[in-house]
Amino acid sequence: MKPLENLFDRVRPTFEDEGLLSPFEPVFEATENFFLSPGTPTDRAPHVRDPMDLKRYMWLVVLALLPALFCGLYFFGLRVLAVVVVSYAVGGSVEVVFAMARNEEISEGFLVTGLLFPLVLPPAVPLWMVGMGVAFGVLVGKELFGGTGRNLFNPALVGRCFLAIAYPAAMAGGYLLPGDGLTGRLAQYVGGWNADAVSSATPLAAAKQGTYAALSDLFFGHVSGSIGETSALALVAGGLFLLATRVANWRTVVGVLGTFGLLGLLLSRTAPETFGPIGWHMLAGGLLLGAFFMATDPVTSPAENGAKWAYGAIVGACALLIRHLTGYVEGVMFAILLGNIAAPVLDEVAVRAHLRRLSDEG
Amino acid sequence: MKFRGGYHVPLAGRPASEVEVLPEPNVLHIPLSSRRFRFEELCVEEGQRVEPGQPLAKDMDNFALPLPAPRAGTVRLEAAEGHLTLEDVEHAPEEPYHPDQDREHIPQGLGSAGIKRYKLLMLGAWQFFRDAHTDELPDPFSTPAAVVVSAAHFEPYMARGDVQIHKRLSNFTRGLEHLQSLLEYQPIYLMLPQVESDFAGRVRETLRGYAYVQQVPVPVECGFDRPGLVANKLGLGGDDEPVWALDTRGVLAVDRALTLSRPSTVRIVTIGGPGAEQPRHLLAMPGYPLEELLEGRLTDERCPVLNGGVLTGERLSENQMGLDAECAGLTALAPGPERKVLRFMRPLLERPTFANPLSRLLDGRPRQMSPGRLGERRACISCGFCTEVCPAGVMPHLIHKYLYGDQIEEAERVRLDLCVRCGLCSYVCPSKIELYGQFAEAQRTVREELAEEEALT
Repeated sequence: MKPLENLFDRVRPTFEDEGLLSPFEPVFEATENFFLSPGTPTDRAPHVRDPMDLKRYMWLVVLALLPALFCGLYFFGLRVLAVVVVSYAVGGSVEVVFAMARNEEISEGFLVTGLLFPLVLPPAVPLWMVGMGVAFGVLVGKELFGGTGRNLFNPALVGRCFLAIAYPAAMAGGYLLPGDGLTGRLAQYVGGWNADAVSSATPLAAAKQGTYAALSDLFFGHVSGSIGETSALALVAGGLFLLATRVANWRTVVGVLGTFGLLGLLLSRTAPETFGPIGWHMLAGGLLLGAFFMATDPVTSPAENGAKWAYGAIVGACALLIRHLTGYVEGVMFAILLGNIAAPVLDEVAVRAHLRRLSDEG
Repeated sequence: MKFRGGYHVPLAGRPASEVEVLPEPNVLHIPLSSRRFRFEELCVEEGQRVEPGQPLAKDMDNFALPLPAPRAGTVRLEAAEGHLTLEDVEHAPEEPYHPDQDREHIPQGLGSAGIKRYKLLMLGAWQFFRDAHTDELPDPFSTPAAVVVSAAHFEPYMARGDVQIHKRLSNFTRGLEHLQSLLEYQPIYLMLPQVESDFAGRVRETLRGYAYVQQVPVPVECGFDRPGLVANKLGLGGDDEPVWALDTRGVLAVDRALTLSRPSTVRIVTIGGPGAEQPRHLLAMPGYPLEELLEGRLTDERCPVLNGGVLTGERLSENQMGLDAECAGLTALAPGPERKVLRFMRPLLERPTFANPLSRLLDGRPRQMSPGRLGERRACISCGFCTEVCPAGVMPHLIHKYLYGDQIEEAERVRLDLCVRCGLCSYVCPSKIELYGQFAEAQRTVREELAEEEALT
């Protein structure tokens, strides 16, 4: 692609050592490498490499999230786009400022965080809150730990957690009735002044009062809830794609859903008045979004396969227990953050077992 | 034996099985250094006429390993920098070598085995031996714990063992018998893709009673052809006992040295890879001019050529004019790397990738692959791909984290020593971390530190 290459070549001197915009070199580099794949030769063996790089890795997650995003658009209207744009813009700025201060490259991890964060928000949440949440998530959840690869917690969930604690009323009141018909709310902009008219309790909140939404509505997404969590179908489709490409590890997903399902089945048999129908709960709320897209984040989940099972079990069990035994209507967010805390310890145990296995083999 | 990990890198350009004999060259440019050796002590003078097999130079750091003249010729020292050039090259029969005049160099304690080992050293067959753990040249008069012979080469485009031994099975088995005569009671392990095959059966049949050879089946995937892996898995070798490793070329050289007392001058060199016009096995000798050898064999002049296999071979330096003494194969890559618009969004079907088994299911053909890092260097995200492909079963990302923090003792604790340097982890890493180079360097540092400690005590 010569014209594009020439354009970048012409602009490059402005951003280099003595150039006018030299502090913005990371921005230039990131832009260039985003549009044009880098032509860096290998300097040491192996001289061929797998074409999978971090950009493609993150891009595959974004691709897998697109069905859920589209469902969000369909059910909750065009404002979803505004939320996504604010999230990318504000979070991206934080990322860029840190990259410039550290004089490092801008990491691709934000491609995912910037999209995951809006998907876990109520659709009518004020836009300034979106910006504040994503800034907090990226800053505290990631940059303070040293950037992508070194963070302990999932940045999107840190931002969500911050909003849930700081603005509980706005968050709880930001849920909308889903759109209907052929176009849903695709031609509507619901938020701010006209949101109150169509605000609605989430299926989980209604379930605490004893009203259960229809299973088919949960499956196709015709329910109130966070932007990306409504349609089980879209989430499972995207999730299976991630599993097939090995970007998400199947052990984590099976661990979370399996524990949630089995423990839920057991408990709903023994205490049916506290624990609702488990099949319904599997599809409701943020469980699928969390299990496929949040818990599987390679950085904040354990690296060892054995530890992934334990981590999945912790997340699944905590999600179930928080959802049913506490004042919160949804527990997936806290469950994953708790899992993130446990991950390094689980990894340590699994690594020891791995090393023992190696020395046993001789 | 349990195996896990390994990965088949599906690349185009595998050589056919027949071997092409190259025309006799008029001139040979023999590089005085190769991957392991520096032949710095010259034994010949400018303008001297040398006989085939006559030592041209020696590597004094490696037990005075000689560089035998592959052909008769006239020595030119200044013709090419870093090379010893032979002009007016002639193909003449080599004189058999008898070590009688060199008795004083041979340790007495080893008896006839000592004489044979000295012969291997003088006839250039010793250069095919390596320490299974460190890849370095072992001491010819040391006592090995075992010998591992690899008849498998799974790194794409390297000479496959069976090509070389197919027609020379009797030489191969005789070579194994000779190997046994160098040892006392130590076993020989022969690594084969299948121990139930016709070929393996014939090896067993021929050897019965003459050599204690155990056949070890190894999976046909990259990474499993490393003798160090088998040595580790069998628990062979300790602090003072090296494990000798050699490939089929080495066994054939041993046979030639000990049966005919002649040096092996020609050997099979493979040229393959996506940039090779016709992937071939070639019969050539060290010093064969690269220009002549590569002429018309590359699809494009810009194709980069690697000295060695695709996973561990290094780029041929521009100054190198002839095949070096150790070269087993050349890998030609497609020209590149090319810059592409929004490449990370393009579907993965045009190229194979470890992360996407779907593309292999849909279409398992071997692929073109251009050189280049194909991505930017990033921090490790602990995706676990490296652990999944590692044939040695270690956790490369963890070793990397300790080495990144300069904690080499911790890296040793998580078994840096088991790494067999196959390069698969670097190949699959999405963060493009140079794991292979980092581990090889760290292992060398550890060895040097140990040697220093030993020297002090």
